[in-house]
Amino acid sequence: MSRRIARALLTHSFGAMLVAAATLAHAQKSSDPVEWLRRIYQATHNLSYVGTFVYQQGEQSETSRITRLTGAHGNIEKLEALDGEPREILRTNDAVRCYLPKSQTVKVDRRFDHRGFPTLLQGEIDGLTQNYTVALGDNERIAGYSCQVVVLTPKDNLRYGYRLWADADSGMLLKALTFDDEGRTVEQFAFTQLTIGKVTAAEVKPQRTTAAWHVEDAEVAPVNLEREGWSVEAVLPGFRKVVEVRRTLHSSRTVEQVVYSDGLAAVSVFIEPLTAQDKPARFGLANLGATNIYTREVANHLVTVVGEAPAASVQRIADAVNYRQPH
Amino acid sequence: MNIKISALIDGEGSQRELDEALAALARDPQACECWRLYHLIGDAMHGHGLLSREFGAQLSERLSREPAVLAPRAIRSRRERNRWVALSAAASMAAVALVGWLAYGPRGTTLSPAPLAVVSPKVAPAQGPVADARPKAPARIPLPSAANDYLLAHQIYSPRVTLQGLAPYIRTVSDEVVEKGSR
Repeated sequence: MSRRIARALLTHSFGAMLVAAATLAHAQKSSDPVEWLRRIYQATHNLSYVGTFVYQQGEQSETSRITRLTGAHGNIEKLEALDGEPREILRTNDAVRCYLPKSQTVKVDRRFDHRGFPTLLQGEIDGLTQNYTVALGDNERIAGYSCQVVVLTPKDNLRYGYRLWADADSGMLLKALTFDDEGRTVEQFAFTQLTIGKVTAAEVKPQRTTAAWHVEDAEVAPVNLEREGWSVEAVLPGFRKVVEVRRTLHSSRTVEQVVYSDGLAAVSVFIEPLTAQDKPARFGLANLGATNIYTREVANHLVTVVGEAPAASVQRIADAVNYRQPH
Repeated sequence: MNIKISALIDGEGSQRELDEALAALARDPQACECWRLYHLIGDAMHGHGLLSREFGAQLSERLSREPAVLAPRAIRSRRERNRWVALSAAASMAAVALVGWLAYGPRGTTLSPAPLAVVSPKVAPAQGPVADARPKAPARIPLPSAANDYLLAHQIYSPRVTLQGLAPYIRTVSDEVVEKGSR
């Protein structure tokens, strides 16, 4: 019996708290930049917090509130847009729910493996150093917190660089800036106010939804695209395939999705039949902050590549998509 | 120096003068100002409209994707003459590159289609072998109407969310951005 209690305690947040406490004690004196990344990751996952942050890309900026409750019964995180149309996104252990009051819709998305959200394994953090040079910067103050600056500079121009500001005490990420190969800011997130701890379950509930809302629940299943004739001939150096699924998009459309990642940036390739109503689809490059979306036609299919990577990288992956009639 | 810059804009002058003008533009802000002013005068005289703010950045980006020209056409030198101002601004390839370089502004956030660079036939790249390793510059299009759905489907697998939590999803929920982009 006592063994069961001990196991239950360990498998819930208690274990995580122990790890976090140990890391905290260790990393407070750490001058190892990779150790700081680990601290940021652990703080993101193990802390409860509520705060207001500003997202900025180009001339647009948007204020949002983020609330996270970490508990023995799982973790809930809520994101609310404070500007413009009220919108909310909720993340639980296995799903992301997007509440859109304007269209009275809930979009539900799940990872096909039901493993929950990716845990950044020891090896993956270490793997980042193959593609990025990780270095510590100065101490700077953000939203009242004294922060350690951690800079990830890419080793080539296939990916963006990142400048991260982590609370010196907790490791909590207070600000994240994405920069391009010429050092210019592509987008940034920065907390203007943050309170760590003291979050109640009521604070992470969606505010506006009712049972009458339309629910779009994505169906996701594994798939083997190569067997169907599709291939991505030359993946970018440092990127590897993470997942390959067939899924619904906007309830009605079925698309195939392959995700590549270098451990920090991810690029998704979506392939779907080009129907008559899609024509004339517009082909080319669209941009939203650090996200580039490149659309082209391959073998009467619409290929849409979405990634937090420079336009040339996204385009390179799109151009590598090929179709050959399977035997 | 202003005369040499004027000659450079006209695609005239001796090789040495052109080299000097290019060197001056690379280090001297006054020369750059002169360059800008001559073009402004030229544009005003020809009745050209002002370029969009991102023009320089986009031109630079597209130029950086252009194939390297391995056999550039020699610049023909004409008889020397003094020019008090550059009006017939038919730019050489180098000059086009300089416009882009000098006018470099914030890049990449525009949702509107890129203006096309109007290049006179005189400055078309020379025929010959080219080393085209980079992809061609793509057409700029507004965000697809299903952009939010793609982003939602994409971000669930992004390690960025692992590091940063839900914050990157704010890109996903911005319906307004999509609407603006579709206009």
